[in-house]
This record gives sequence, C-alpha cells and structure tokens, in this order.
Amino acid sequence: MRELSRRRLLGLGWGAAAASVGASVVAGCATPGSTNVNRAAPVPRSDEPVTLTYWSWLKDLQKVADIWNAQNPRVQVEAVWIQGGNDGGYAKMYAALAAGGGPDIGQVELRQVPEFLLANGLVDLSRYGAAEFAERYAPSLWNQVVFEEGVYGIPQDSGPMAFYYQTALLEAVSAGPPATWDDWRELAGLVRETGPANYLEVFPASDAAPFTAYAAQAGARWFRIEGDEWVVDMTDEATMRVAAFFDSVIDDDLVETGYEAFSPGFYAAAGEGRIAALTSASWGDALLQSISDGAGKWRVAPMQTWPEGDYGSSALGGSTAAVLAHSPHPQEALDFIVWMTSSREGIDAMIEHCGIGWSPSAEYIGAARRRPSEWFSGQSYNEEVFVPASRQQPEWTWAPLTQATLTAVEDQLRRKLTDGQPLVDGLVQAEAATLTAFRNKGLTARSAS
Amino acid sequence: MTARRRTQTRAAWLLLAPFLALFALTFVVPIIAAVGQSFTTIDRAGLFGEDGVTSEFAGFANYARALADSGFVDSVGRMLLFGVVQVPVMIVLCTALALLLESASARWPQFFRGAYFMPYGVPGVIATIMWSFFYVPGLSPLLDITQALGLRIDPLGPEMVLWSIANIVTWTYTGYNMLIVIAQLKAIPTEVYEAARIDGAGPWRLAWSVQLPLIRPALVLTTVFSIIGTLQLFTEPKLLQTVAPSIDTSYTPNLSAYTNAFAFNEYGIAAAQAVLIALAAFVLSYAFLTVTSRTSRRAKR
Repeated sequence: MRELSRRRLLGLGWGAAAASVGASVVAGCATPGSTNVNRAAPVPRSDEPVTLTYWSWLKDLQKVADIWNAQNPRVQVEAVWIQGGNDGGYAKMYAALAAGGGPDIGQVELRQVPEFLLANGLVDLSRYGAAEFAERYAPSLWNQVVFEEGVYGIPQDSGPMAFYYQTALLEAVSAGPPATWDDWRELAGLVRETGPANYLEVFPASDAAPFTAYAAQAGARWFRIEGDEWVVDMTDEATMRVAAFFDSVIDDDLVETGYEAFSPGFYAAAGEGRIAALTSASWGDALLQSISDGAGKWRVAPMQTWPEGDYGSSALGGSTAAVLAHSPHPQEALDFIVWMTSSREGIDAMIEHCGIGWSPSAEYIGAARRRPSEWFSGQSYNEEVFVPASRQQPEWTWAPLTQATLTAVEDQLRRKLTDGQPLVDGLVQAEAATLTAFRNKGLTARSAS
Repeated sequence: MTARRRTQTRAAWLLLAPFLALFALTFVVPIIAAVGQSFTTIDRAGLFGEDGVTSEFAGFANYARALADSGFVDSVGRMLLFGVVQVPVMIVLCTALALLLESASARWPQFFRGAYFMPYGVPGVIATIMWSFFYVPGLSPLLDITQALGLRIDPLGPEMVLWSIANIVTWTYTGYNMLIVIAQLKAIPTEVYEAARIDGAGPWRLAWSVQLPLIRPALVLTTVFSIIGTLQLFTEPKLLQTVAPSIDTSYTPNLSAYTNAFAFNEYGIAAAQAVLIALAAFVLSYAFLTVTSRTSRRAKR
C-alpha cells in the first residue's frame, strides 16, 4: 500500500475512500438506501424460468445449489463466492445495493441483519409467506431475524456454545469440566499453577463477540425497541456481573490475553499444552482439529453457567440467507432458502459441502453430526452437548449499530488490558459511544438507565 | 507550419487521451466525489430508516466529528511518533548502505545491492505475514532464543507493536530508498572525486564533504515519500491485527477511515478523514521541503 501511494502523492487513503464513493456517484447521486422496497407491491411469482444468484463465503455452495437445480429446472441457483462479511463481503453487497443491483440472496450474519435494514437492503419475507415456516427454526434464531413483525432473513446456521478441553491437562489438576463459571475460575487458578505460561483459556481483547455471548448467557439484553425509539442497555445487572467477573479474572492473571482463539499463537499454545480449554461455538470443532497432534486429546462438555442465570448456553456467530432488496424474484428465492435451511436434504448437503455451523432447524441436526467423533476422543459430542446447548436466551436481538457496538466494547476491553481500567466502567463508556453512533446515523435512541 | 503544428498538437492529445480518460475516471472524479461526500450526511426516519432516508449538506460536521473522535486523533499522533523515529532511522540506514556499496573498497556491490533491494519486491501482505511468524510467541524462533536467555519480549504487546510495525516498514523500504541514493551517487562526476583525492581527502572526508552534500536532493525526495508513506500506513497494522490484540480499528488514520467506510458504512466521516489525511501529508511534505530549501539556501550563502 505504501508502494502504491508513493506514486500517487495525493494518497491512497483518499483514493480508497473515494473509489467506493465513486460507485454511488456513478449511480446517479441518489442517496443509497433511500427507497424502501418493502413499501412497493410484492413481486409475483415469475412465469418464466428464473436464475437466482447467491453471494456467500461458504465454500462449495454450488454443490448444494446443484442438488436443488437438478430437482427444480425452472429455478436455477448460481452460487458466487465472496469474501467473508467483514473482510469485504458486506462492503461489496452495500456497494451493489447502493448502485441498485446486487444478488438475489446474500449471506448475512444474524448480528448484521439490522445493519442491512439500515441500508434498506433486505426484502421483508413475511410478505412472501415466510411466517408460516417459523416453527421449523430454533426460536432463539427466528427471534433475531424478526423486526417489527417483518422477517428479514432465514437462519442458515448458528453457533451454540460449549466447553472444549484437553482431558489430560484437566486430569493433571484432578479436575473435570466446570459446571459453573465459579468452578471455571477455580479451575483456571489450578491450571495456572502448572507452569508460568500455562492458562486454562484465552480472553480476547480484539473480539467483543465472546464477551457479548457470556453476557447474553447471563440474561443481558442490550437492545430493544420501544415505540419508534431504540433502547440501549449495556449496563444492566447481568452485564455488570459478567464484567466484574472478568475484571477479577484478568486482574488475577487467570486468562491469556495476548492472542485470541484460532489465531496462530493459539494453535501453537494449544498444541504445546499451554492452553487447556476453549469456550466456543459448535463450529469451533472443525477449527480445533487443525491443532497439531490434537487428535484424541480433546473432549467437549456443556458450557459453564452463571449461578443466577437461567440459560445453559449461549451463541457465537451464525448467519442467515437473506433476500437483498433489488432481487427480481423474492418468492422463488424464499422457496430455495427454505429448502436449503430446513429440509433434511438441504441441511445434510450444507454440512457435507460447506461445513456450516449448527443446523438452524429445530428438529434436525444433520446425519453427519449424529456419529461419534474420533478426533474428540470418540465422543458423540453433537448429540451429547450441542443439542441441549440450543436452549438459549430467546430474547436477544441485535440493533442496526452492531459493528459500532462491538468496536466500542473492544476498545474498552483493550483499555482494560493496557490501562487497567475496569470493564464495569468501560461498559458505561461503550454504551455512551453506542448511543452516539445511533444518533450519528440519524436514529432515535436512549439509554435504559 | 501552423497546420503542421495543429496536427502535432492533435496527435499529442490523441496519444494522451487514454491516460487522461483513465486518470480522470479513477483519480480526479473519485477525489471530487470524496470531497463532496465529506460534506454530506444522511438522516433517517423510523427505526431503520424505513420511513425515509435523506442526504443533506452537512457543512463541516463530518470534519468536526472526525476530529472529535479521540481514536482518530490518537492515530494521527501515533503516526507522527512513528514517523519521527522510523523515517530518520531508515534514511540514515539507507544512506549508510548506499555509501558503503559505492565506496571504492566495497566487495560484490552488485550482489549486495540486489540483496538489500529484495525485500521491496516482497508484497507488503506477504512481508507482514512472514514477520508475524517472528513475532508470535510459540511460533517464533527469535523469541525462543530470547526466552532461553531469560528475556520475555512480546513484540505484539501494546508498547512494542508500533515498533514491530516500524521494523517491517524499515526492512521493506530501506533497500528501495538505498537505490534512489545510489542512483544519485552514480551521477556524481568522477572528476569531483579525483579533485577531492588530490586535495588529500580520505574516505570519511569524501563521504561527509563531497558525497552527502551532492546526494541531498535524493535524500529530500526519499524523506518526503517516507513521510507520506507513514501517514498512509495500512497494510501492516491491518494484517497484524489478527495476531496483535492491541491494534484497534483506528490504530492508524487510514485504518480508521477504512473502518468507518467498510465496517460502519459511514462514508461521510470516512471521506472527511481521508481528506484530512491527504491535507496532513501535504502540509508535512510542504513544511519539510520549505525547511530543507531554506537551509540549503543558507548553506550556499
């Protein structure tokens, strides 16, 4: 980047921002997202053969689409691979939407759905009969795609959480997996004594999603709608309890904060036995299997719980297949998405070819996931651990400022590590920053406290 | 005569046209658009803007918000600190290497010139990934050695990561700047050297009193490029983010603009920040050029 900018003295930073803006200028200076397709008449089913495009970062999605294509000659689906959402995929979709185009279907994470609403970028699928499929999906997921009675995406996968651990390292301190977070803290202390660089778990400062998931498990609900106003509540009792817990855990040096899960440093440490466990989502199973010499050393246990909390687990990540605003065939797109995400055939194909996270279906986890895993010490962990883990807080919803909120929390997590500022104070500041972000977008928002 | 001249002019424009068209489309228009965007804000009605989205002239509101953002202001300060340390180190290093390779007693100058220049041929992304393997504890052979010596160094920790980035940048660009200096050294006529030697100048004297003053333009050029490059630092911190938790989303000014544009979808603020970065680069370069030309005039007197 430096090399390029040398040649253009005026600067690439300028150019990069400008180039993306250029797209909207070329599109005719209209304000992106100023038209709301959900106010226009619904598009009827087409009489002609239809080709749908699906932008997604799932690998080999075309193989799943081909199964559908063979059975539905009139509705052909073409999968187009894009960069992961925050690595450029969303920027690409936003640019396409601003230019009045884009694919019929886009992969949008659950937490990103309301951000796309802000760009008026999604079709309300309730106008095409999506509500009748509601009972096919896990209620905690369905709740996250419904806003003001509109359905803005169909859950495609999710990430119920559990406690992954190295059996031998826990046996070395004569302990089993923790039942509660207090047990977890005690266990972290025991593992810490086994060596100067040994930790039970990592605690990421650069990713607020795990902290958010822990708070949701404790019963926190950061966002809700009251009338035509957003209410932000990041300092409720549940969140404060979780923040105080991690304040003391970090102060006592019980977690490794130098790197995050699934980073090169994490894999090296886990392979050498310096990291004993990981609280993460069901999709973490595939990632953990790239730890060298890890086969047979790991097991999975239910996630530790908060003593007062009512929820057995929480969720990390998860995405939807959403119909983007300019799709000429939303009805056909919905037909395909429902097949892909709720039929046994679709779910099995998504697991086999794309390696999706947890199945969004309330009833079917996928044939491949009913078998025991050799890597995880022969455990049938999916049925043992993750099926019960789907019982989560059903009320959590995201708001249109997800990215700004997570960034605000991440800034405070970093300040905890660099300046030692307690998280309980940091979250007050994160809430203030989030409210500012809401207002900067022209939305009405207030603090719950 | 005039007719011939006219055809010549026409031919010149014709030949320039492809360049000008692309230049206007990919450079001038985006810059104008960015400046325009930096004065625009978007207002929304309803919970998601579903009841109407309007674009308004914002005056300097986006600039005020960019400057009120402590993360962005801190990142500019961080880059100034970075530049004050890294640019002089790199310029001294590249000048020293150039003088050594161009000195009479240099062995295999071509080989070393190529070797020092090689890092520049490695794309920034690859260079950063490669260096990150030297920085990550548990993977890095260098850190294994320091640990064996009883030193616990964390190149990715909050205090050191800026200098770890400086190291990558220096490694990449020293050879490139060295070549610019060497080119200038080669342009010094041999008579000047002969005259100096006849006057009894040794290699040190030669370097200090003859070569350094004569390569001054090259040094000014490389310094200006480096100052601009510093403000635009992006690739290295963006990639190191995955291994260094202390690099936040507004660690450098460009990273801040990138986050606003592509994560927060706030193009107005991103454009304002980009314009501010460009202005800062312009002001700094201009100030440096003014200072150097003034001192050189004084030296001539």
